[in-house]
Amino acid sequence: MSFGLGPEEWAALRLSAMVAMWCALAVAAPGTLFAWLLARRQFAGKGLLDILLHLPLVLPPVAVGYLLLLVCGTNGPVGGWLKQAFNIEIVFTWKAAVLASAVIAFPLMLRSARTAIELVDRRLEEAARTLGATPLRTVLTVTLPLALPGIFAGMVLAFARSLGEFGATIIVAGNILGETQTLPLALFSMLQRPGGEGGALRLMVISILLSYGALALSELVARRLRHMVGVER
Amino acid sequence: MKLDLCLECARGDFRLAVDLHLEGNAAGIFGPSGAGKTTLLHALTGLLHPRSGRIALDGEVLYDSKMSLRVPPHRRRIGMVFQDARLFPHLSVAGNLRYGERLLPADERRIHFNEVVELLEIGGLLERPVRHLSGGERQRVALGRALLASPRLLLLDEPLSSLDRRLKAQILPYLRRVHRTLGVPLLIVSHDLGDILHLTDRLIILDHGRVAGHGRYLDLARDPRVSGILRSSGLLNVLRLRPVEHRPEHGVILLAFAGAPPDAATVVAPYHDGGDGEIDVALRPEDIALALERVEHISIQNQLPGEIVSIHQADSRILCVVNVGTDLLVDITYQALETLELVPGKRVWCLFKAHALQSLASDGENPSHIPIVSV
Repeated sequence: MSFGLGPEEWAALRLSAMVAMWCALAVAAPGTLFAWLLARRQFAGKGLLDILLHLPLVLPPVAVGYLLLLVCGTNGPVGGWLKQAFNIEIVFTWKAAVLASAVIAFPLMLRSARTAIELVDRRLEEAARTLGATPLRTVLTVTLPLALPGIFAGMVLAFARSLGEFGATIIVAGNILGETQTLPLALFSMLQRPGGEGGALRLMVISILLSYGALALSELVARRLRHMVGVER
Repeated sequence: MKLDLCLECARGDFRLAVDLHLEGNAAGIFGPSGAGKTTLLHALTGLLHPRSGRIALDGEVLYDSKMSLRVPPHRRRIGMVFQDARLFPHLSVAGNLRYGERLLPADERRIHFNEVVELLEIGGLLERPVRHLSGGERQRVALGRALLASPRLLLLDEPLSSLDRRLKAQILPYLRRVHRTLGVPLLIVSHDLGDILHLTDRLIILDHGRVAGHGRYLDLARDPRVSGILRSSGLLNVLRLRPVEHRPEHGVILLAFAGAPPDAATVVAPYHDGGDGEIDVALRPEDIALALERVEHISIQNQLPGEIVSIHQADSRILCVVNVGTDLLVDITYQALETLELVPGKRVWCLFKAHALQSLASDGENPSHIPIVSV
């Protein structure tokens, strides 16, 4: 049952799936939090924050990777602190691949969750307040459950985006076989190698299948969720 | 309920300025659309921030601009039933009903789940998702949900306006039952006078963001400053009648004005199986004619003797208050007033067709025309 895949390719596939999963989980909470802030709160500097959070969407991924390398490298402010306080190294490990794709995918999560939260009828939130719910409880029991399909859709987008992340990952995580070499990186390596076209082709097909599967699954789950929260479109 | 309201609110170009002191356990807020009715309710719940003023409920200050005091909506314990129900679509009927109840410490729950479910007859709906409810069911669930939060005051914002006549007639008895059985003070907003008079005859009349009048309905109807506003929706006489004697073999029931002495005039209605409960009947002032003596040979069978209490002029029409055991508003033309030489104290007969009487729903009963045949 190797589907004609070599151990190198299997490793890349497993790693990609794991990184993408962690990426989706990592962006969920902060993405939803900032989405709520942008959708429901008014504060000074909101416009600036909005642009800042969307930057990874338009910045060259390589630039994002380089920035992360500077900040999270062992000599960087965050990386240095992590190394000192917890003896954790991020760069050139699979965690760096997660970090890179999470930063790149963050705007997708944010936009999806924000739209979902904006679509939640505020009058339902008002009704909750008159029934004795604090603002926090209103968010937890009305806003978020009703925005859940959109939040989930954002996570799936982040998952899919992570599967394709290349530029930032190669800078901050490197291209270490079996450790940080995700599918796109493996594909890239094979193309660099004489006679690697066959492997590259297989990896391309796998990429397509994986992405297609992820999106199809998300549509299924989103439909179920929409049904559960009673907002069917 | 004791409610002190002194408020100034602004919403875009609209300004609401209200200074009111309310006592009693129910009042209706009536006025044309755009008068500020909903704004007033939202300010009470705390969902809308007034520009200035003070709100105190039963002595507890909920808002005071001078002291920069603003109790947030969730601590006001003022319930609200919205025009559009606003049920939570992700919860079942039971989940909606229990939403506010769960947020309340057990010892502060004055209204109990089973009691509300029984009163509103929603026991069969509990497990249903709310999207499968009809309009009338939604409003009942919304009412139950608000009640289960054990509010100190319940606000009803046009709770019936999204419903057609038939559904309205189904909800009104529930509202009344809830009000009577559970004793929750009510403020009901409506542009339909009949809806309000079902629950209370205490009215606050709002017009262009101001209180145009405040008091008992009959007094307001006679007040030329506000009768125009009341008249725009159609004035109503609301008669409370009590069955005196059932005569199914003759196909009739004798009815008397509720609270009238035993020897007072009775009216006869066609027999209907309504039990012995009191019923409310609406009669429009323009459907009543006045005569100086009893008229024979006429198809109009309802003729009640009475005495003119007062006469009020509004525009080109005349409003007479005639006491026939209870005060009736009668709308006639100026020419009729001149021809009959009507003055306060004069004895007259009030004539109205049987079909002019429309029963407002009484407890547990659907409304129907109750033609009253003779006196």
